[in-house]
Amino acid sequence: MTGAAIRIEGLTKAFGPNRVLRGIDLDLPAGAVTVLMGANGAGKSTLVKVLCGVHRADGGRVLLEGRPFAPASPAEALRAGVVTVHQAIDEGVVPDLDVASNLLLDRIADGSVGVASARRLRAAARPLAEAVGLAADLGAPVRDLPLADRQLVAIARAMAHRPRLLILDEPTSSLSEAEARRLFGLIDRLRAQGVALLYISHRMGDIRRLADRVVAMRDGVIAGLFEERPLDTAGALRAMLGRDLGEAELEPAAGGRPVLEARGLVLRPGARPFDLVAREGEVIAVTGLVGAGKGTLAGVLFGTERPAGGDLRLDGAPFAPASPAEAVGRGVFLVPRDRRRNALVPDWDIGRNLTLPFLHRHAAGPFLRPRSETALGRRMVEEMGVVCQGVRDGIGTLSGGNQQKVVVGRWLAEPCRLLVLDEPFQGVDIRARRDIGARLRETAAARATLVLVSEVDEAAEIADRILVMAGHTIVAEHVNRALDLGAVMREAAEAAA
Amino acid sequence: MTARDFAIRYGFLLLLLGMVGLFGWLQPGFLTVPSAVFILQSVAITGILALGVTCTLVVGGFDLSIGAVATSALMLAAYVMVVWEMGALAAVGLCLLMGAGVGLVNGLLIVKMRVPDLLATLGMMFVLIGLQRIPTEGNSIATGMALPGGGVAQGTFSPAFLALGRYRLWDVVPLSVVFLLLVAVLVWVFLELTRHGRLMYAIGSNAQAAALAGTNVGAYRIGAYVISGTLAALGGILLAARLGRGDVASGNNLLLDSVAAALIGFAVLGASRPNAFGTAVGALFVGILLQGLTMLNAPYYTQDFVKGAVLVVALVFTFALTGRGARARA
Amino acid sequence: MITRRTLGRVAAALLASAALPALAQDRPAPFDNPGEVEIALVRYLSTGDFFQAYLAGVQRQADALGVSLRVFDSRQDAAVQADMVDQAIALGVDGIIIQHGLTESMREAAQRALDAGIPVVAFDVDVENEQIPQIEQSDRDLARLVLEQAVEDNGEEWVAAYVYVPGIAPLDRRNEVWVEFKERYPGIQEVAQFGTLDNPIANSVANQARAVLSANPNVQVVFAPYNEFARGVKIAVDEAGMSDRVSIYSADISTADIGAMREPGSAWKATAATNPAVVGEVSVRALAMLMAGEDPGRQVIVPPSLITQAQLNEENISSMEELSARIPAFAHADVAAPDWMPLPSAPQD
Repeated sequence: MTGAAIRIEGLTKAFGPNRVLRGIDLDLPAGAVTVLMGANGAGKSTLVKVLCGVHRADGGRVLLEGRPFAPASPAEALRAGVVTVHQAIDEGVVPDLDVASNLLLDRIADGSVGVASARRLRAAARPLAEAVGLAADLGAPVRDLPLADRQLVAIARAMAHRPRLLILDEPTSSLSEAEARRLFGLIDRLRAQGVALLYISHRMGDIRRLADRVVAMRDGVIAGLFEERPLDTAGALRAMLGRDLGEAELEPAAGGRPVLEARGLVLRPGARPFDLVAREGEVIAVTGLVGAGKGTLAGVLFGTERPAGGDLRLDGAPFAPASPAEAVGRGVFLVPRDRRRNALVPDWDIGRNLTLPFLHRHAAGPFLRPRSETALGRRMVEEMGVVCQGVRDGIGTLSGGNQQKVVVGRWLAEPCRLLVLDEPFQGVDIRARRDIGARLRETAAARATLVLVSEVDEAAEIADRILVMAGHTIVAEHVNRALDLGAVMREAAEAAA
Repeated sequence: MTARDFAIRYGFLLLLLGMVGLFGWLQPGFLTVPSAVFILQSVAITGILALGVTCTLVVGGFDLSIGAVATSALMLAAYVMVVWEMGALAAVGLCLLMGAGVGLVNGLLIVKMRVPDLLATLGMMFVLIGLQRIPTEGNSIATGMALPGGGVAQGTFSPAFLALGRYRLWDVVPLSVVFLLLVAVLVWVFLELTRHGRLMYAIGSNAQAAALAGTNVGAYRIGAYVISGTLAALGGILLAARLGRGDVASGNNLLLDSVAAALIGFAVLGASRPNAFGTAVGALFVGILLQGLTMLNAPYYTQDFVKGAVLVVALVFTFALTGRGARARA
Repeated sequence: MITRRTLGRVAAALLASAALPALAQDRPAPFDNPGEVEIALVRYLSTGDFFQAYLAGVQRQADALGVSLRVFDSRQDAAVQADMVDQAIALGVDGIIIQHGLTESMREAAQRALDAGIPVVAFDVDVENEQIPQIEQSDRDLARLVLEQAVEDNGEEWVAAYVYVPGIAPLDRRNEVWVEFKERYPGIQEVAQFGTLDNPIANSVANQARAVLSANPNVQVVFAPYNEFARGVKIAVDEAGMSDRVSIYSADISTADIGAMREPGSAWKATAATNPAVVGEVSVRALAMLMAGEDPGRQVIVPPSLITQAQLNEENISSMEELSARIPAFAHADVAAPDWMPLPSAPQD
């Protein structure tokens, strides 16, 4: 460690009456990874936005290598060597441009790369892509890339800046194990080169693997700093939450009569057929790496994709939905992954977002009944524990965890036969994750529940049974009791290889 | 409520009131019942078109063909009555059918053929501008005109049809104004109070989310264009009833004025989104401005200038003021 | 309005050239062999009744001469219009009529045609060239005729509203006469001036006129020297219930306008017009004279006729065709008509 690259002194920031940062003092040493933990609303995002020039601090100061640093814009922060990879992926890429242009975007913007042929652009971009192990077609528009690759593009773009401080805001939340390992390798290299790294994550695995120091934030102040090895992650968690979290206690249930029965299901041509039975009252987690086929399974069950073969039955009757509307009609609900893109109506308040799928329940003929809507909104906010002023709050004012509670609550408003949740904990802080998980188990009795997650920890937190998926088929099954999570993880990785 | 919130919510309505006061002070004839009725009449046609385009804006689309649909309906109504010598009912029915049909084709092009909305409706606009001239070889339609196939058109505009543009309830309120108010209320009720309207807003805000909530996104989008086409045809019928002849016109000014009204509507009550009430106020706003300025003898180019300035101010209200307020919280 | 009649006329022309070869041979070259002659009409404006009728007149006179006509339509695109002149040159036409356009874009194009040895005439566009005859419907005469009628009907003192959009050449010329008239008759008091070309023009002008009439209920005469304007003013006058108090004087005419003027109690009292079909005929005749080596003169002016509501009622005229048939001055103009020139017969529909 070579001393503090960044020194933050007495930083404050308020939005109206809401004091988000209340005097932050923090050093970020060069050549070290500082992990920043905090529940949603603790002020992490605001701190990052002050550092990367989106917001200006109200008080205090930041020193970058001893000189005052107060960027007026993200571009200025970038020039000073402070680079940020944001949590919301599309903030870091231009979806309509191709990969090569995205990678070179900042250099095109500052004029150091002029107008060039597509081939020359691609040639200039190739090393940047290779540095992060990005294998995508450099000529393809970023819009068409899978989430994981879009994230890599954003990271690769950040790497092109030879950063002095690299801020990574939940970078692994949408990466597969292999991609995450590649990223960790990069982080190790940067650390060795003397870059200061600020790493924001909820994932214990990441933290254990990477952290040189852990900083816990709570209510706009630094609640704890842990530098001694071995790192006291439990202490950090305590400092962040202000209380003990306790382990989730879970007694696996056997389940009642079968709801969903898949026989010889082939998710895509060439994949091995598999059987799957989901029973009433049972919560099944399907885990596997990104690309293992979990998304396809969700699509098949919800009518957006067709299986290549096999037989699906719901409560004994043939089930082959042609559209989401048909699936919903049969009592199969899906909480889709990537809530910003697939679930939230950003212009709307909490209440309207909650009633979206079952609007006819709140209408007499075509006419809406606002009282019925509000009643449901209040009930779901209460049941899901959404932290807000009221159901009229805009959905955009909520933290990621609370947004996810709304998205899940929307589908819990009506009884169903099968509830499928695709990566429901993506970008959700640990407290909100526990809340959602608990609510899912409380309500699980009258239906079958299928949770698709890439994190084995998350699967173990919620499921009665854990299925491991790889190559678009199910390769293993475990009852969730005294499970060796490391072994499950290896299973998933090996089957994929 | 901060001063800024107040400005966003009521700024535009206050501006409207202030303008009415100013014109009333400068021009004594302005604040009279006939003048008010007339303002409504002058915005009736663009207002109805604007309410239609509002529906397409709600689902995140756009309809550039409304002006051409309106003038095609104008020509069609004239053709039906003057050349085919049919009655008012047939003229109205065929025009509405034509409008709905054009809307359906627009919708199918956009939803099924995946043509971007601006391009599909632009193409339709050109098709219609040309098509409406083919039967008469580019001539306007009036009784006594020579027909391309020989002979002279003997039909006349039926009095019942002309009444649509000329009859006045209680000798004061023209029927076209009644239609405007009726359509405004219907569209408002549809968009704000029914679940169909709600789902259309969901589609406009996040179509993917709406689809994954089980909404038939394609059907609603097509429906929006059918509404837009039908209302544009209604506007064309009222235009025909007012003009009493089939005038050849592209309808581009109708399009621009109604789009301006719908966009100004974004700023009313700080809605920041297409909405029926705002559109109606926006149309009224433009109508009052033009009426007042004409009364004061302002030449036509200053009117265009003022219209444009109002639109820009409205867009600033919508995007700069409200947008920043929402973003500051993230 | 064209096809059947046109076909008929083509047939007639064919018959004429077959049956009466001697006639054609009496004409000066190149019209002694008209089958080999082609002329081009390059248009800037084409939509609307006026331009349709103009084209019909051009076609009619071309048929009478037995020459073939090629029509280029630039649809209000000045650059395209210039290109079309070049196309016509490249196609080797024998004469070119330029119909409307912008001086700036047409001046060089017209010169290129002359350089290629092709005679050119221009209608309603000043190409600033001594060798190119200008066909004009005299807008000044048009305005003068109808304003004189207004003075005759209403005396020398009245309150007027005026519809005008500056920058349009014919309207500007009509405006000059209006300015002179106001000087000559100080009793004419103009209280409002308005106008717009937003289409449908009649609808937009009606909206403006309503505002003007409610601001100035004492208006007696509206001078609207363009029939689209007059149509809009009439709608507004009717809607305001002021038909008995306001008189409208205009310029130009169409079948629909005749209907509007003849409505019972119509405020539209008189208009002055040049028959656009006759202007079309004159354009072709002037070009033909040039091609035959004769000089039609630097300016070829087609005189307008005054058409009053009373006249229409007396003669029971309800269409342009009847107007041509019953008011001979409207059907023909003795302009650019040397002895050898075959004249088209009046349309009989």
